Amino acid sequence: MIEIDGVTVTFDDLRAVETVDLTVDDGEFLTVVGPSGCGKTTLLRTVGGLQEPTSGSVRVNGRTTDAARANAEIGYVFQRHTLLPWKSAVENVAFLREMAGKPADREGARRLLREVGLEGFESARPAALSGGMKQRVAIARAIHLGAEILLMDEPFGELDEITRERLGVEIRRLWRAERKTVVFVTHSVPEAVFLADRCVVMESDPGRIVETFDVDLPRPRTDEAYSSDAFQEQVAAVRSVLHEDRSNAARAGSTLTEP
Amino acid sequence: MNGRVGEPGSTVTVADVALPLGGLAIATAAWWALVAASDVPPYLLPPPDAVAAVILGNPGLFVRNAAATAEKVAIGGGVGIAAGFALAVSISRLQWLRRAVYPYLVTVRVLPKIAVAPLLLIYIGTGMTTAVVFIGLIAFFPMVLSTAAGFERVPAEQRDLLRSVDAGPLDAFLRLELPYAVPDLFAGLKQSVTLAVIGAVVAEWIVADSGLGFLVLLASENVQVDLMLAALAVLVALGLALYGLIVVAQRRLVWTSTAG
Repeated sequence: MIEIDGVTVTFDDLRAVETVDLTVDDGEFLTVVGPSGCGKTTLLRTVGGLQEPTSGSVRVNGRTTDAARANAEIGYVFQRHTLLPWKSAVENVAFLREMAGKPADREGARRLLREVGLEGFESARPAALSGGMKQRVAIARAIHLGAEILLMDEPFGELDEITRERLGVEIRRLWRAERKTVVFVTHSVPEAVFLADRCVVMESDPGRIVETFDVDLPRPRTDEAYSSDAFQEQVAAVRSVLHEDRSNAARAGSTLTEP
Repeated sequence: MNGRVGEPGSTVTVADVALPLGGLAIATAAWWALVAASDVPPYLLPPPDAVAAVILGNPGLFVRNAAATAEKVAIGGGVGIAAGFALAVSISRLQWLRRAVYPYLVTVRVLPKIAVAPLLLIYIGTGMTTAVVFIGLIAFFPMVLSTAAGFERVPAEQRDLLRSVDAGPLDAFLRLELPYAVPDLFAGLKQSVTLAVIGAVVAEWIVADSGLGFLVLLASENVQVDLMLAALAVLVALGLALYGLIVVAQRRLVWTSTAG
């Protein structure tokens, strides 16, 4: 359980995050969507204990984020894969757990590599893996840590759309199978809707939550959901929130018109 | 991460060995032909076999002096390299130290260290200590600058990853920072060792008691070109051996990758 209580983060004059209140329940898949600079990454970093809030507090499983870090209760996945280039895939999966001081579990690391579809690539170095495969290793690494909470900061941001959609289906399946709590930050509206049980929409300047959607799509979620009408409607609903918040000046500057 | 492809761990073909050896053979033959065809007296340009005979005629002399030079390189180079590594580690952790020291490291690098030698003679005198300090000074700069640059290669997100599980500073250093720095560390090490050999020869000209540099100086004063060339040949062999040691260590320790 994550409790975000009145969190504000300012950098000099920039109000990156402004009084955000949010609770993430155990086992929930929450997505945070918004344009660049809306503070969604900063908010995630406060939950992971990587960014100290200027005011307000974050509790993870009832404790401070520092305590959560010390207990390795948070598995982080970054936009860049952050694999160590001199280690093989299976060594990279094992690395975070080792750094957290948890007992080694080589068999578990191999099992997770199989789970993310990388059987046979155990000894491959990152340079020999595609962008999507590297992120699969990074996801396996975060799960292997054994934390209940996974924080994902645009993990598919550098991947092509087809790979993103496939990984979206897989991350939902893994989340169910491994019983995790996920906070997933993205700037892709379809991705945010497809993955979410609940989708939080943020806006910038100052970075704040403007709307929260409960996503009602079939569970378990398969790739069929992408082409369903319900999916398209909910994507449209999130989009309309993001667009209505635009300033008049921005709308006037748009030269796009209906044909 | 450029410039590392094909260095350690690459396979060696027959041509890789045969072509340089062929080049050496042709150069030696040309030397021979020049001596035979011209009127240059042998005391000014002895043929290659005469130089070889000088080495083989008194191997003890060369072994003794090579050992003296190697000792200076090992002690002086070791001191300079260790100090350079220690300072690189320190400035990678302490921002204030980095800001206080780094500009001067870059500036002093352009100073020809040889110019400092006369000053050392006045301060420390003509002994082994002067040689060690001088060689250490020369070996220090490439080591500290390369290693410091290596530590800068650690991506910020990698540090965040370790912070996210509260990894200890020693783990972070040994498992993340040092491996990232190790290719640059070896680049610095190669420069430092090469410069340390140069430093040793210069030190032997100044301190002038033993070593291959001293042998060259002695041969020069007596116009013994064959002895001089023999000493130079042994010096090349010594330099190559030291360089080779580092390359062997590098092959064992450095990870290879074309993409980070």
